[in-house]
Amino acid sequence: MIRLWDEGDTVGDRGQDALRRNNVRITGNPDGQPILFVHGFGGSQETWHAMTPEFEADYRVILMDHVGSGDSDVSAYDRAKYDSLHGYVDDLLEIIETLTLHDVVFVGHSVSALMGVLAVNRAPELFDRLVLVGPSPRYIDADGYVGGFSQEAIDDLLNSLDSNYLGWSSAMASTLMGNAERPELRTTLEESIRTIDPAIASQFARVTFLSDNRRDLADVTVPALVLQSTEDVIASYEVGKYVHENIPNSEFVLMESRGHLPNLSHPAEVSRHIKAFLG
Amino acid sequence: MTGDAAVGTDDLFENAPCGLLVTTTDDVVIRTNQTFLDWTGFSAGDVVGRDFHYLLDPGSQAFYATRYQAELWARGAIREVAFTLIRADGTPMPILVNAEMPSQADPASAVVRVAIFDSTVRHDYEREMLTAKRLAETSESSLRVLQEASTRFLAASTDVELSAELASIARDAFAASEVAVLLADEHGTFRVDTGAKNEQMIRQLVEAWPIDPLSITADAVISIESLDQAYAESPRVGDLLRKLRTEALTAVPIAEGDRILGAIVCFFGRPRALDQQVLELQRALARQASLVLSRVRLQNQLERLARYDQLTGLANRTLVTERISQALKVSRSRENSIAIIFIDLDGFKLINDRLGHRVGDMVLQTVSDRMRAAVRDTDIVGRFGGDEFVILCEDADEDAALAIAHRLAAAVRAPIPTLAADFRVTASVGVALHASDSRRFETSDSLVRRADAAMYESKRSGSDHMTVSAS
Repeated sequence: MIRLWDEGDTVGDRGQDALRRNNVRITGNPDGQPILFVHGFGGSQETWHAMTPEFEADYRVILMDHVGSGDSDVSAYDRAKYDSLHGYVDDLLEIIETLTLHDVVFVGHSVSALMGVLAVNRAPELFDRLVLVGPSPRYIDADGYVGGFSQEAIDDLLNSLDSNYLGWSSAMASTLMGNAERPELRTTLEESIRTIDPAIASQFARVTFLSDNRRDLADVTVPALVLQSTEDVIASYEVGKYVHENIPNSEFVLMESRGHLPNLSHPAEVSRHIKAFLG
Repeated sequence: MTGDAAVGTDDLFENAPCGLLVTTTDDVVIRTNQTFLDWTGFSAGDVVGRDFHYLLDPGSQAFYATRYQAELWARGAIREVAFTLIRADGTPMPILVNAEMPSQADPASAVVRVAIFDSTVRHDYEREMLTAKRLAETSESSLRVLQEASTRFLAASTDVELSAELASIARDAFAASEVAVLLADEHGTFRVDTGAKNEQMIRQLVEAWPIDPLSITADAVISIESLDQAYAESPRVGDLLRKLRTEALTAVPIAEGDRILGAIVCFFGRPRALDQQVLELQRALARQASLVLSRVRLQNQLERLARYDQLTGLANRTLVTERISQALKVSRSRENSIAIIFIDLDGFKLINDRLGHRVGDMVLQTVSDRMRAAVRDTDIVGRFGGDEFVILCEDADEDAALAIAHRLAAAVRAPIPTLAADFRVTASVGVALHASDSRRFETSDSLVRRADAAMYESKRSGSDHMTVSAS
């Protein structure tokens, strides 16, 4: 059952605005430990749709969309606030505080895994554990560090994103693929990734691919799990290992899943590893 | 006749006017057509069994792994995505991709069908268009920023208002998470009026920074693009910026000629490449701000001149009258009584005539200074003209008013050392009271007239007398 927040919870006007702004949805066991799923660049909360049923019996599942993605309130987008991960982290902490959550398990994919690192460092008292799916603290190679991309490659990527968004809205509107097998899932997922404002996508891409959060890994004080996909061109094995080696109390699991979106392509495996980690 | 072979399905697939592939849902190539191999120079063995996206350039691979994959899983279809493929000989080939991933009951047999179109010409055109578009947008947005600044600055009438507008414009223009504006006041002290949070940040920065403020010139610009650069500058600065969640920083002086009037400091939450365009725009904004600051200060100076007496520095008639009107408005609601004290100097005309205007001026200045010192902080001493003074005491009952009036009289009465003993100055004092619950309709004119009349009574009784007008 999907509802906006528990009846009887009183949140101030500002709190309500935050939950609406980020299209926060809560499912699962209201008495369970809260587990917050945070999507990465290019996605929305629907990228977790195949995994969340695994957690609903025992956990209180919280889903959200970053401002500018999914069904978030795009009018809340502020170029100055969201010019770095810190603006997004502000939102996440605001959601947690509004819902008065404790012992939160933060599950972040890709760039949102680093948001998890920052959130946990800012307010360690709110979190129990951190799960990083396909994380990378820096994409551009540097002295003694292999991020996987040269500056030129990232520039190319940003150009490629800009030119692919050139005709994005019209292309998207014309591809309604009604599918007989699981039409309801398709439509929800499809609608949520429907239109991303090209200017927002462009900025989010820059925030994602030009950030450097290597220094923040060492400050993490909660137990962490790094889930690494085989053959992930965005966040390679070396990068995953680097993250694990620099977060003090962390585990590293190399999954059989391939590609950068294991939450979509191999949801059962990812869920299994998270459950094992949560014990 | 053309053979069936030319339209057989095999031929249609192998020699289609586009590249065709089938991959697993994990992107492993299962089969390709001949056209694809011809275009790319690969053999079937090179490609089959490999991940398709490894054939793309790194930028394309990153886009593939994020947006493309998410979209494919969401919709089951991709249309017209632009990638760059790297041929067997290493040369880049721009392509457009269509793909379909029909969902199937058995995931193990799920496939993705991919069609690839050579888009070399389109690609070049698009890139040209994209570059031109970006260039146009950049100069257009710079222009818009300056135009908007110009409009918003028009309304600014104080330093603080200017700071606020400037900070807001800079924040939007540069997507800076915090913008602090420093301005030097008339004493040369720099103030930050753009919020307590960034004032704190500036304070800490100034403490940690090993820069000699005197060495900053009007065309200097400070620019830090990353924490790495900050740490290279000094570990202290690096640590501080990290604490402030700032990873890049710019500081541009606001100058008037060679004089530094202030600075615009932008804080960014991630590393930023601060190119010429950004720095130029910051400089342009600073120049605009400098002009506006001159205007604002000149305006304020004129207003001051119009409200203060040049010789004595006391409030002039205009200002005192304004203040009395305000006090009357406030008196009822705050239950304050008001007192107006009208003072006329006895013996002043004689001094002016006999000893000259220079001495007369000195006497006026001395007496004014003493009267100012004799009143409370909240009272206003004004010069109404010649040797007449009007003092406004807000929130003063009869006792308080009389006490002040006596102090004023004593201040005027006290001998002036440089003045010959024969020449004495005393005050004829008139006091008018206005109780907060007074039912009488009073204006500042009527109040002053009452005090004036009372003063006249004092004058008629001789010098150095005081009269109170019943309210």
